[in-house]
Amino acid sequence: MNGAVATTIIVAGLALAGYALLMTALNHRMNVPLLAAAGVLEILLLVQVGIIVAKLAGGERPAGLATLIGYLIATPLVLVAAAFWGLMERSRWGPAVIAVAGLVVAVLMVRLHQIWPVLHV
Amino acid sequence: MSEPMAPTEPAASQPGSTRTGPGRLLVAIYALFALAATARAGVQIATKFSHAPVAYVLSAFAGAVYILATVTLTIGNPVARRIAVVSCSIELVGVLAVGTWSLADPASFPDATVWSGYGSGYGFVPLVLPVFGLLWLRRWNRRPRTQRTTVTSAEDAGEAAGNGAAHSESGTSGQGAEDVVADDST
Repeated sequence: MNGAVATTIIVAGLALAGYALLMTALNHRMNVPLLAAAGVLEILLLVQVGIIVAKLAGGERPAGLATLIGYLIATPLVLVAAAFWGLMERSRWGPAVIAVAGLVVAVLMVRLHQIWPVLHV
Repeated sequence: MSEPMAPTEPAASQPGSTRTGPGRLLVAIYALFALAATARAGVQIATKFSHAPVAYVLSAFAGAVYILATVTLTIGNPVARRIAVVSCSIELVGVLAVGTWSLADPASFPDATVWSGYGSGYGFVPLVLPVFGLLWLRRWNRRPRTQRTTVTSAEDAGEAAGNGAAHSESGTSGQGAEDVVADDST
């Protein structure tokens, strides 16, 4: 069940990156559909953070607790920061920033699994 | 000829700062690495410094350089650009030196740094990033004193080919080189 959310996040992150990269290639600026897609990914990330926090509250502990907490804070923030930074851009490079954020979110999810394999990504 | 060329060239990257256009992406990636390297070094130094002190100090140093590059690229005025060139250069030397060192003497690195194996743990982005940073900054630092039309036309050709990074005075793209030759002969 936990694995389903994490897997969805990885797929969604890669899909967002692909879509944003396509927009960059087609010389499109930031638009509402792209922001909405980023918003959906952000909600998924917050759900995942909730699941992990619940596990921690239940008494389970990973080996690298500090790193895990760092990832829990950083992952949702990266996407929000990228959305704001990308919105400030009035060219194709706005979506390019979102593409990087989508890739980073996917990579961070995989890393999260390596830190704490209990998560069953 | 340089007079009519001058206004059209910056139009490619409106409105004109090191943090806009491709610079938007560059600053974002620099900020990401500033965060990654600093946070990683912070956690490692706080929790297990004695395990691999050299690696952790180098990661912290890399983080500081990334922060400096992020801030100066965002500010983008002439002074900041000069500092950015220095920090990107330190970064390039650092990734090459630490990369070589980590391969030649793995015993010194029980744990990896951002720059180990030329940044292989981070998809070699640490190796590529300073190169793009310096190319991007070169464009900006050269502009005020650019009077040579040959260089401008080579740059435009490179831009039209779709890769702003590939242009250089050596005329990497065949088209750019031909333009330079044509301009020189006339």
